[in-house]
Amino acid sequence: MSDWFYLLPQAILCAGGLAALGLGAVLLRPAPGLQLGGALLFLAAAGAIVLALPAAGPVLDDMLAFDGIVRFYQLLILGSAGLSLLFASRYASLRGLAGDELYALVLFATLGMLLLAGAANWVIFVLGLELFTLCLYVLIALDRGRRTSLEAALKYFVPGAAAAGCLIFGVALIYAATGSLDLASSLASTAAGDVASFGPGLAGLALILLGVGFKLALAPFHLWAPDVYQGAPAPVAAFLATGSKVAVYAALLRLVAALPADAWQALAPVFWLLSAATLLAGSLPALTQTRVKRLLAYSSVAQMGYLLLALLAYPAAGPAPVMFYAAAYVLMDLGAFGSLGLLSPVSGDLDALEGFAGLGRTRPWPAAVLAVSLLSLAGLPLTMGFVGKFVVFVAVVRAGYPVLAGIGILGAVVAAGAYLRVLGALYFGRPVHAGQGQPPGPAAYVALGLVGALIVLLGIVPGPLLGLLR
Amino acid sequence: MNPGAATTVFPALSALLILPLAGALVALALSRDAASCRRLALGVSLAELALILALPLLNGPGPLHLAEDFAWISAMGARYHLGLDGLSYVLVLLTAVLQVLAVLVSWREVERSVGFYFFCLLASQASANGIFLARDLFLFALFWEFQLVPMFLLIGVFGHEEKRAAAAKFLIFSLAGGLAMLLAIAGLGLAQAGSTGLPNFSLAALLAQPVSPGLQLWLFTGFLLAVAVKVPILPLHTWLPDAHTQAPTAGSLILAGVLLKTGAYALIRLALPLFPAAAQAALPVLMFVGLLGLFYASWIALAQTDAKRLVAYSSIGHMSLVVLGAAAGSPLSLTGSMFQMLGHALSTGGLFLMVGMLSERAGSRELADFGGLWRTMPVFGAFFLFFCLAAAGLPGLCNFPGEFMIIVGTFKDHPAAGAAAFAGLVLTLVYVLRLAAAVIFGRPGKKARHPDMTFREVLILSGLTALILLLGLHPQPVLDLLTPAVTELLGAREGLP
Repeated sequence: MSDWFYLLPQAILCAGGLAALGLGAVLLRPAPGLQLGGALLFLAAAGAIVLALPAAGPVLDDMLAFDGIVRFYQLLILGSAGLSLLFASRYASLRGLAGDELYALVLFATLGMLLLAGAANWVIFVLGLELFTLCLYVLIALDRGRRTSLEAALKYFVPGAAAAGCLIFGVALIYAATGSLDLASSLASTAAGDVASFGPGLAGLALILLGVGFKLALAPFHLWAPDVYQGAPAPVAAFLATGSKVAVYAALLRLVAALPADAWQALAPVFWLLSAATLLAGSLPALTQTRVKRLLAYSSVAQMGYLLLALLAYPAAGPAPVMFYAAAYVLMDLGAFGSLGLLSPVSGDLDALEGFAGLGRTRPWPAAVLAVSLLSLAGLPLTMGFVGKFVVFVAVVRAGYPVLAGIGILGAVVAAGAYLRVLGALYFGRPVHAGQGQPPGPAAYVALGLVGALIVLLGIVPGPLLGLLR
Repeated sequence: MNPGAATTVFPALSALLILPLAGALVALALSRDAASCRRLALGVSLAELALILALPLLNGPGPLHLAEDFAWISAMGARYHLGLDGLSYVLVLLTAVLQVLAVLVSWREVERSVGFYFFCLLASQASANGIFLARDLFLFALFWEFQLVPMFLLIGVFGHEEKRAAAAKFLIFSLAGGLAMLLAIAGLGLAQAGSTGLPNFSLAALLAQPVSPGLQLWLFTGFLLAVAVKVPILPLHTWLPDAHTQAPTAGSLILAGVLLKTGAYALIRLALPLFPAAAQAALPVLMFVGLLGLFYASWIALAQTDAKRLVAYSSIGHMSLVVLGAAAGSPLSLTGSMFQMLGHALSTGGLFLMVGMLSERAGSRELADFGGLWRTMPVFGAFFLFFCLAAAGLPGLCNFPGEFMIIVGTFKDHPAAGAAAFAGLVLTLVYVLRLAAAVIFGRPGKKARHPDMTFREVLILSGLTALILLLGLHPQPVLDLLTPAVTELLGAREGLP
């Protein structure tokens, strides 16, 4: 089988994005159903091919990796894009945002995420990362008429550009130190004990981690997250919070796997500190937020901390915990931001805590999915979040970091306090507005049902998925 | 815990979980029709009770021991393993009895979101049964944490004036304890990982082979945190008076009768036998906090002006005695602790019900508003006095055998602690009499005139009365059920196979 087949999913997404743009040029006002259906079709086709392709070592002159882990992450990314679009389509058309650029940019961003998830070469790594970041800049600013949306895009853009600079400089340093742009072999020779290449190589790695840390919103590079999530339209925030994060984690996982043991020894304490700081820096401020989108942003920062915990345990406990938690995280945050978008009135996304009062009674279904997502984020049972947290704790204890697990618990308790306030508003408060928001429409109901059912189902019967990941 | 002796009875034990859970979902679906929700909840609770009463028929010869064991999350080493012995049986039975009472007592009290209310009530029963039946630690932790959600909603949605703060406090305390236990379970399962490298969460396997004493201390601390929040053990009790005071009547009944029991159950079934060395080391501390709780709670109860809060503090006192008996570790005191769990559920449950009925009529829980009810509401007065006497541990009523066994069992090895516990019981008598005096005797207060008990209420209270008398006068059948469990649990604590 030709190596070129491994580019087929990306090619399909590229064709899909172009088709979405072309549709806008041919038909002046394409039906939203047509745009959504077409985009979903392209995503599904790419997913089918990802499923069908046999696992292989690095292909296309060692540019792309495609093993079981990459396959899983790529499916996760495609799923996240599809669900985000389902949440977004009616949301966007009600607000006059559903131009062809929404669908095209989501497809192009997904293409970038797939590239990053499968990158085996630093050039592909940077290419994928920058491609989806570029698309996200525009998506965040989708609601051009709204100042907060533009402000959020700017706040993502300026530090993002700096981070991109760091990243590219880091890659250049690694290339200078090792003479290789191949991810695995450059990392392997960085730490081979060669003094001349070790220093620049390590500096390069540090710069790359800095860039990646910004994209993932790891503390202390996380302060953009609350502003950006608050300003971005809710379904875009869902996509930003899920797809882009797991794509970076997929790359980070390969990076950690490629590190030689002595380099890992040197880096593990850095990861330890980063994850502890991220857990606390996400959970503690969440407690005092009165704006739900900011609260969810901090919560997603804390969730990045749990993923980092699982990553730290990866050499000892294998990839299953980090992959399972990534899947749980995608569903929880899609559910939270997606249902928040559906609950919001057209005049602007719901944000203040008081706005959620009594929605559990007036809008039972979206509120229920929001509640399930929050319970799952808090790590309560019969949800994926509970199993995910437990799996991560087992992995972390196995890897010999019980203190870090303790910090994780502390963060979880504090964050639970934050989620409680939203839950309390949803169910304990009296409704303030009678008919807030619009009916979600069938597409969003499909997404709501899928997300809610998967969170609960995989929380009760996680066995098959966990077995698959082992 | 010899698995060979268990009779596998799929799906009888699962039915104990599925029946209330299915009832809960149907109640949610029926939520437009309040009357049929009530009838459904009553029907499900009665069916559950009948099922539990019929369970011993499935048992082979020998002591009660039923089990179900299936692969569940094989990638993680967790199994779906349920088991039922005498201790689990009496607690599951207690849960079912209280559930019927809880449904009946909510018949009129709850008028809005009835479907959601019974959803929470039935879901909490399913989770409690899961806790009492689980023989796999991961499964146990799942039910343990899940129990918080329905109770949180019961307090937060259907509670009284300060419900939101009380519900949040309850959840945060319990979650913090529960997560510490979750981490300990992860550590324990990993420490006993077999040759496959998979963690081992099977209770029987973990009991047979305790981990190293150094590790035990850490893991025991994790378990103890969870237990201490739920039981509650001083100083982690501060959520309880608020939760009890703000919860609806049925919520208080389930909190006192079931939720606190899950804490004591986890102490007796898991924390002490799983970590014998740590438990031995912690014994003086546990006995001390047990005694401290008894005195402190009784002391604070004396100063309460809110009737429900007073009963809540009495609850802490009674449960502290359970902790003392469990820690002392003689067969007699452990049996006493288990028996006291039942006695406390019935007597305190009865008091919570009656205070609830009173505040439903008067819209107040202040002691100063009542008085003289003996004359204005004679039936109420009689029942109230009866439950007060039961709570005070009058011989012939349900608390007496348990308290007696705890004190005598403790006195044998720890005479000072036994004597102190006896003194603590005298203090109990004082605040219980104060409660009785303030509510039913003396001059009628400004809110003392109300219609007397209705037929439904008399029915509820008579049922409880009969059970209290039965347990007090003829405790032997229950003791027979508990004895094999006591022998087995103490065997594990002494390192016997």
